[in-house]
Amino acid sequence: MTQDVIDSAAGIHPGSPVAALRAERPLFVQHSQGSYDVLIRPADAGGVSQTMRAAVALRVAVLNAYAPLIAQYTHRLHEIGVEPSVIVAVEAGRTPDLPRLNAVLHHVDRVTKAPDTAEKQHLDALLTTGLSPRDIVAISQIIAFVSYQVRVAAGLRLMAHRA
Amino acid sequence: MSAHPFTLEPVEWAAWLPTVDAATATPEQLAALDKSPPQARSSPYFLTLAHDVAALDQRSPLFNAVMYAPRGLKRSDRELSTVVTSIINGCVYCASVHARRFAELTKHPEIIQALFDQGLGAQLDPRLRAIVDFSAKLTRTPNEMTPADLAPLREAGLTELDIHDLIHAVAMFANANRLMLSLGEPVL
Repeated sequence: MTQDVIDSAAGIHPGSPVAALRAERPLFVQHSQGSYDVLIRPADAGGVSQTMRAAVALRVAVLNAYAPLIAQYTHRLHEIGVEPSVIVAVEAGRTPDLPRLNAVLHHVDRVTKAPDTAEKQHLDALLTTGLSPRDIVAISQIIAFVSYQVRVAAGLRLMAHRA
Repeated sequence: MSAHPFTLEPVEWAAWLPTVDAATATPEQLAALDKSPPQARSSPYFLTLAHDVAALDQRSPLFNAVMYAPRGLKRSDRELSTVVTSIINGCVYCASVHARRFAELTKHPEIIQALFDQGLGAQLDPRLRAIVDFSAKLTRTPNEMTPADLAPLREAGLTELDIHDLIHAVAMFANANRLMLSLGEPVL
């Protein structure tokens, strides 16, 4: 069994008061982990590779400057076997040697930092790179999930600090 | 923020991608749609999300739990926090839906109207002020949160479970706003 992706990001230890609180909300726990599993480590990745999934997640974590998740998704990219130079480029948001990933990362930046500036033409541009509607929805769900995960982890981390 | 026509009136939403057709959807897609709100089989938003059925199948039960789980944070407080997040992110559609839920639950539409008209600094009672301030900071700068940010919530009488639920409601709308804003647009 893999470690819970909220507990690990928030620094929550078994038996702690925040762990007990989480146990009162089993559906939150189950479907937060379930969302991570199907978005970041899916059995059927469709047209969005495991590398692209982890890269999108890492970039969202970087844009939020949330160190525990930067570490989590950097680790995931290493685990897949992605070259360190590519990981550095993903962190910086630019992968000029990988044009499709570069286009996706540009989209990630916009939707993460200024979601109300998104336009239909941006999705049309992603479709021209060969991504399908399903792929674009998967990428959108990953951006949305990590935006959620950052805030749950940052919030629960505060609660875990209580003396 | 004034560029966004936030409203308590109902707003429609139009998809930018071709949507799944409920008439030809797979059994798995229909099952995931049926875990979503009652009108999901005819909603362009949920018929867009149905393209990635595995993700929708997890997200809809998560959303429902965060917004409707029994006990813990009052439902109207959950709705308020999602309106705050939606105002900051500029999601006119989300703000409209959840503003109306808050108004239905509390019978106080003027509280939301004040936030729409005057911004998040509008006059509020101390409990709602604490919820709005915490929601706004967690939305804008999650990496700058400190344990001191919890003090006003505790002083206003929120329990630990209430605060846990508040964190999840804000986080769920970091999620929902981005899907709504990047896969389609409001139709006023």
